[in-house]
Amino acid sequence: MGEVLAYRSERMRQDVTSWIGMVVFLAAWAMTFAALFFVYGAMRVRSPMWPPSGIAMLPLGLPGLNTLVVLLSSAVLHRAVVRVREGRPIRLPAWVGATMGLGLLFLALQIVVWRSMAEQGLLPQTGGYGAVFWTLTLFHALHVVAGLGVLAWVLGQALRGEVTTAKHAALRHAAMFWHFVGTIWVLLFVLVYVA
Amino acid sequence: MSAQHIHPEPTTFLRKYWFSTDHKVIARQFLWLGCFFLAWGGMMAMLIRWQLANPGEPFPLIGQLLMPRSGGIVTPSAYTTLFTMHGLIMIFWGITPVLIGFFGNFCIPLMIGARDMAFPTLNMASFHTMFIASVILLGSFMVPMGSGAAGWTTYPPLSTQVGTPGWGQTIVVIAIFFAGVATIMGGINYVTTVIRLRAPGMGYFQMPLTVWGQWLTAILNVLFVPVLGAAALLLILDRTFGTEFYINGSMATENTGDPILFQHLFWIFGHPEVYILILPAWGIISDLLAFFSRKPAYWYKGTALGMTAVTILSAVVYGHHMFVTGMNPLLGKSFMLLTLIISVPAEVFFLNWLHTMWKGSIRWTVPMAFSVGVVFVFGLGGLTGLFLGTISTDLYLHDTYFVVGHFHLTMAAAAFLGSFAGIYFWFPKVYGRMMSEKIGKWHFWLSFITINAVFCGQLVVGWGGMQRRLYDPSVYTFLEHLGGVNKLISYAAFVLGISQLLFVYNFIASMIRGEKAGDNPWHVGTLEWSVPSPPKHYNFDPIPTVYHGPHEYSNPKVTGKDWVGQWEPPDVIGGPPAGEEKKGEAASGSTQAAE
Repeated sequence: MGEVLAYRSERMRQDVTSWIGMVVFLAAWAMTFAALFFVYGAMRVRSPMWPPSGIAMLPLGLPGLNTLVVLLSSAVLHRAVVRVREGRPIRLPAWVGATMGLGLLFLALQIVVWRSMAEQGLLPQTGGYGAVFWTLTLFHALHVVAGLGVLAWVLGQALRGEVTTAKHAALRHAAMFWHFVGTIWVLLFVLVYVA
Repeated sequence: MSAQHIHPEPTTFLRKYWFSTDHKVIARQFLWLGCFFLAWGGMMAMLIRWQLANPGEPFPLIGQLLMPRSGGIVTPSAYTTLFTMHGLIMIFWGITPVLIGFFGNFCIPLMIGARDMAFPTLNMASFHTMFIASVILLGSFMVPMGSGAAGWTTYPPLSTQVGTPGWGQTIVVIAIFFAGVATIMGGINYVTTVIRLRAPGMGYFQMPLTVWGQWLTAILNVLFVPVLGAAALLLILDRTFGTEFYINGSMATENTGDPILFQHLFWIFGHPEVYILILPAWGIISDLLAFFSRKPAYWYKGTALGMTAVTILSAVVYGHHMFVTGMNPLLGKSFMLLTLIISVPAEVFFLNWLHTMWKGSIRWTVPMAFSVGVVFVFGLGGLTGLFLGTISTDLYLHDTYFVVGHFHLTMAAAAFLGSFAGIYFWFPKVYGRMMSEKIGKWHFWLSFITINAVFCGQLVVGWGGMQRRLYDPSVYTFLEHLGGVNKLISYAAFVLGISQLLFVYNFIASMIRGEKAGDNPWHVGTLEWSVPSPPKHYNFDPIPTVYHGPHEYSNPKVTGKDWVGQWEPPDVIGGPPAGEEKKGEAASGSTQAAE
C-alpha cells in the first residue's frame, strides 16, 4: 500500500482524507435522519389509522413535482462534477447556479405545500402526526438551506476560477452533501407522502 | 510520505493556549474541563450519599453555603436535581472529555505517528463547542426552579413540562445536544485520522490497543450520538413548541405521541454509549498490562477483534434496558440472547488480560496498579451484568440499587480507574515530568478499596430491594435494616471523594516540580515514547517508519534491554531471517528476568 501511495500527489492524498471525513460526517447525519424516520415508523405502527381521523391527506402532486426537481438538481450537479473531474470544458458557475436555482424552487414549492397543510389544520402542534410531518420536512428543508449555503461558497470559488480538475474537492464534497440531502427527500417522499 | 505539513508554531498566547489547533493542547483543554466537571459531579455524589446516610440532616461544614434556603438540608427537589445532574455531568462532561477528549486527542496522533489530527480546525471547534455546552449546562443551575430533575435518562413524561416545569430541564437538554455535536466532531476526526494518518508500516494490527479502543469508540460516537441528538431535539420541541412526540393524552386513542418512543431512541444511543465510555479504558489497560508485565499482550488480535465484536453487538442489544416497558416477550428474549452473547468477546479479552499478566515480569507501578484495578472492577461489573441482561432476574432487579452498583462498576469505576491509569502513565509525556509514585500508591489503594466498598455495597442494598433514586429509604420498614449498609457506603464514598485531593495535589505539584522525565521513562516501545517529553509542536520529523508490533517485550534475541521500539529497524532483533522469529512469542514468556 505504501508504495502505491508514494506515487500519488500530496493533494490527492489530502483529498482522499477529506473524502473519508465527509463519508463519516454523512454517516452521522444519516443516523440522525434514521432516528427521525424511526420516530415516524414507531408512531405509524401504533396508530390504528393513518393518517389519524380528522387529519387531511397529504397531497401527492406538488411533492411529486418536487421530487423531480430534486432529482434534476442532483443530475445537474453530478454532470458538472463529472465534467470538471474529466477535464472537459464546462461553464461551471452556470451549472452550479442552475443547481441552486432548482434548490430554491424546491423550497418555494415546499412552502406552498406547508401553507396548504396549515390551512387545512395540520400544524406542528396537531398531535403526533403533525409533529412528525412538520419536523421531518422542516429538518430536511434546513439541510437544503445548508446545502445552498455550501453551494454558494462553491459558486464563489467557481466564479473566481479556483475550481480545476486538479483541485475540486470542495465541489465534490458539496455535491456529496447535496446528493445526500436529495436522497433523504426521496426517502421522505416515498415513506411519508406516498406510502 | 510527508503528506502532513509542519505548520509554524503559533506565537500569541490566545492562539497557543485557547484557539489552538495542536492536538496536544486541545487534549489538555479537555483534560482540565473534564477534571473540573468530575469534581463538580463528584461533589454532587457526596451530597447524595450524605442524604442516604443521614436523611434529613444538614450537610456538615459547607451545607449552609450550598443550600442556604433549606439550612443545609438536601430537600427532595434538590435531591432529584442532584442525582440527575450527577449522572449527566459525569457521563457527558466528566468521562467523555477525559477518556475520549483527552486520551483520544493526545494518544491517537502520537501513537500512530502523525503530526496532528486529520482536521485540526474541526478539532479546535470540537473543544469550543464542548465549552459552550459547559457554559449552557452551568447556566441551567441559575434559572428559577433549578436545573434538570428528570433523571439522567430524561424520560418523558418526567422530562416534559408536566414533570419538570421551567427552563432548567430545557437548558440541560440543549446543553446535551451541544455536547453531542462536539462529540461527533471529535469522532469524525478520530475515525479519519486512524484510517488515513498511520505512519508507514503501521497496519491496523500494529496499532496500540489504546488506539483501537479510541477508534472503535469514535465509530460508535459518530453513529449513535446523532440518535441522541435527534431524541434531544424532539424533546426540546415538545418542551418549547408544543409538539407531541412524547406526550400521550390520557383520553386519546390515536394521533398521540408516545413516552416509550423516547426510551427507544435514548437506548438506541444509550447502550452504545456505555461501551463508548468503557472502550477507551479497555484499550488503555490492554496496553498498560502488557507494558508493565514486560510481555507481549496475550493474543493481541483476539483483544482487538473482541473489542470490535463488542462494538458491533452493542448496537443491537438496547432493548435490555426496556424489559419492563411491556415489550413483546419474544422481542425481549431476542434482546436477552444478544446481550448475553456480548459476554463471549468480552470474556476473550478479559482472559487475554489475565494471560498477559500470567508469568509476566510485573512492574508494580501506579499505572499498573490502576490497570489491575480496572480488571477487577470490570470483572465484577460484567458478572453482575448477567443478572440484568437476563429477563427473569431483571424483572426483580430493575430500577434497584443493583443496577446502580452494576453500571457504576463497569462504566464509572472502570472508566475512572482506567482514566487514572492513563493519566499516571502519560503524564510524563504530557508535561515532561513524573508524578509521585508514593502519593500515587496511596491514591490507588484508597480509591480502589473505597470504590469497591461503595459499589459493592450498592449491589447489596439493591439485592435487598432498595430502589434507585429513593430520597429517604429510612421511611420504609422493609428497607430499615439497610440503614447500616447505606451508612457504610456513604462513609466509603466520602473517603473516596477526599482521597481524590491526593491526586489533585500530586498532579499540580508534579506539573511544577516533579522529577524530570526522560523521553522514555517507562521503557515502552510505542511511538509517542520515541519523541521528547513533552513532544514538539509537530510531534515527528521525520515521520517514523514502523517495524514492530506495539508490545515487543522480553524478546530473548534482543540484548541489553527488554523492549523494542516500534520505530527501531528490524535488525535489533538479532537479524535472523524472517520466519525463525515465530518462536519469539512462545519463548518470551519464560524470560521474565531479562532486565
